[in-house]
Formats: sequence, C-alpha cells, structure tokens
Amino acid sequence: MNLEKAFSTLKSNLYKNYGENPGKMLVHTGTAGWILSSAAQVMAIITNDKIAPEQKTFLIPQEIGDGLINILSFYILTSSVKNLCSKAVLNGKIANKTIKNYLEKNKLNAKIGKVDFNIKKTENFAEIKEDFTSFKNGVDVLASTAGSVLSCNIVTPILRNEYAAERQKSMNEHLFKRNQAQMKPFHSVSMNTYMKNSGMRI
Amino acid sequence: MAISAIKNTTNRVQQAFYNIMPRYVAGEKADKLYKTAGREISSAENRLILGATALMSQPFIDFHNRRIDEDTRRVAVCRTIAKIIAGTVTGYAVRKGSIKAIRACSQLPKDGVAKWRSFFTPKDVTKIDTDEFKQYQNSLGTYISLGVMLFTNFLIDAPLTKFLTNKLNARAIDNKKNGGAK
Repeated sequence: MNLEKAFSTLKSNLYKNYGENPGKMLVHTGTAGWILSSAAQVMAIITNDKIAPEQKTFLIPQEIGDGLINILSFYILTSSVKNLCSKAVLNGKIANKTIKNYLEKNKLNAKIGKVDFNIKKTENFAEIKEDFTSFKNGVDVLASTAGSVLSCNIVTPILRNEYAAERQKSMNEHLFKRNQAQMKPFHSVSMNTYMKNSGMRI
Repeated sequence: MAISAIKNTTNRVQQAFYNIMPRYVAGEKADKLYKTAGREISSAENRLILGATALMSQPFIDFHNRRIDEDTRRVAVCRTIAKIIAGTVTGYAVRKGSIKAIRACSQLPKDGVAKWRSFFTPKDVTKIDTDEFKQYQNSLGTYISLGVMLFTNFLIDAPLTKFLTNKLNARAIDNKKNGGAK
C-alpha cells in the first residue's frame, strides 16, 4: 500500500469512527495523550546524563509504573463513565422529549433500561435519527468530560501520591543499601591509607 | 467460554446499575445544552475544563498528603499549580491551533480552492458543514496536536513549570516568614 492510499484510508477511518462519536474521540485522544506524556517522562530519564546508569535501572521501571497508573486510571474510569451514559441513552434511561415521545408512540416503554435494548435498532428509528444522534453526542461528550475530571483530578492524584510515597520509601532503602555496600569495614583499611587519612585529623 | 462468562457477568452488573438508575428526561433547556456541548466541546475545551477543575482539586489533595514532610508538601503544591497552569495554557493553545489548521486545510476540493486547502478532506465527503465533519476535523486536529505536544512538552511546558514553581515557592516561603498568607 503506498503512502497516499494509507493516508486516504486513515482519513476515511477517522471520519467514520469519530464523525458520529465525539465522546469516543475524547477518550481515545486523552489516552493517547497520557501514553505520549508518560513516554516523554521515561525518555527524559533515559537521555539524562546527570543520572547514573545504576540509578536509571531503578528509576525507569518506577516511571513506567507511574505512567501505567495514569493511563489505566484515565482509560478505565473515563471510558466506563462514557459507556454507561452512552448505553443509558441507547436504552432510553436518559432521553429528551423527542426520544420519550418516540418510545411511547412505538409502545417501547417496557424495554426502557434493558441492557440489550437499543433504540437505534428499532423499526422507525429514522424518524428521530438526527435529533437522537445530536443528543447522544452531547451526553457522550459531557460524560467523557466528567469521567476525565474524576480520573485526572481526583482518583489519579490520590493514587499517585500513595505511589510516590512508596516510591520515595523504596528509593531511600535502595540508596541506603548502596551506601552500605560501598562502606568498607574498619579492618580492611590498610595501614598506609590509615596513616594518610589520620594525618588529616586534628 | 470464558469470554461469554465475562460478558454475561458484565451484562448482569450493567443491568443492576440501570435498574437502580432513575430515568432522566431532559427538559428543553438541558436538551439544548447537551446538543451544544456535543457540537462545540472539542478536545481543546475539554482540556480547559480539566485544567480549571484541576486547580480546584489537585492542590488540596497535595496539601493534605500527610505522608510527606511540610517542605516537600509546599513544593509539591507549588509544582502542581505550576504544572496545571503551564499544561493547560499550552495544551489548550496547541489543540486549538491544530484544530484551526486542520479546518483551514480540509475544504471541499473545487475550482478556486488551492490544492493544499483540501489536503485533509476525506475522498468520500461531499458536504463539510455537518456535525460529523466538524467532529472529524476536531479528532484529526487533536491527533496532530499530540505530535506537536511531544516538542512543546520539552520546549514550553517543562521550563514554564519550573519557572512558575520557583516563583510560587519563593512567594510561599515569603508568606511563611511574614507569618501567614497575605
């Protein structure tokens, strides 16, 4: 496949996937944003010459762990809130007056709130298609926004603080062990070194 | 088999949720609000909302983190505020700018329209003044902005965060010396 064709397919896929689903777009681009930002943090450690290679082997997995918390908490929470609200519109639990009247007119009230009920698959859906899509897009966007506020501003900072405190603790232990390993026992100091060093004392 | 068991359990949990959930029918004003939100809120506005709400919650979460000492906590709060301001300003500007650029380059190909102005227009599109096309422009603009932000993260975000953190921290230390917030 040549580059031009691939780009054309990409444009068509984006149009098909997100054109009628802006909520999904917010979840996907948000997750992609978190992945790139976490990758940038890891790259910053990898390319930082001031950090010793030994420290890097410790810090890189830690940074990856931190990134995973951010990515997973964002994706799981935001997509869950968005999907629950989106399905609630599809099964009629969340509706506007047009959708409510349509359900009543078509005697579909008994099916409201059933997981397997989908208004889009009902016989006369074309009558309300435009209004329904526009309303559902709005609910999806607001649900995605609410989900991302919940995950980015409340859940993730709390989880990250807990993780950072644990990280600080294990970093201190790591440094302590390293320093201990570098310390030489008293009897291993040679007389020559002892004489040299002792001369510095007053 | 395991997949269908997971699916069944998920369905049962969801059904239990919808059984408890009260039915909500939006009035005219709310309906209008939802439709406007669906049409107008792109990732740029979403980032702005995230930033504004972040300022209202994250510094308080850091301030009440009792697992770290007072000095670290003060720096953490200052850094969080600085990070939110820098991240929101650049995040909003880059997303908005990218979406605008995509809009300028996704016109319908016709006489009098330069070729580059229809560079991002999908082949099968015949109308561009629709909600679907606007959402397409938003999503493509957002993906482009993610690439741009790989650079702005280092070039603008990081130095701006450092600058603001130092300013806020110096101010917090001054306030503490003077016996409380001014």
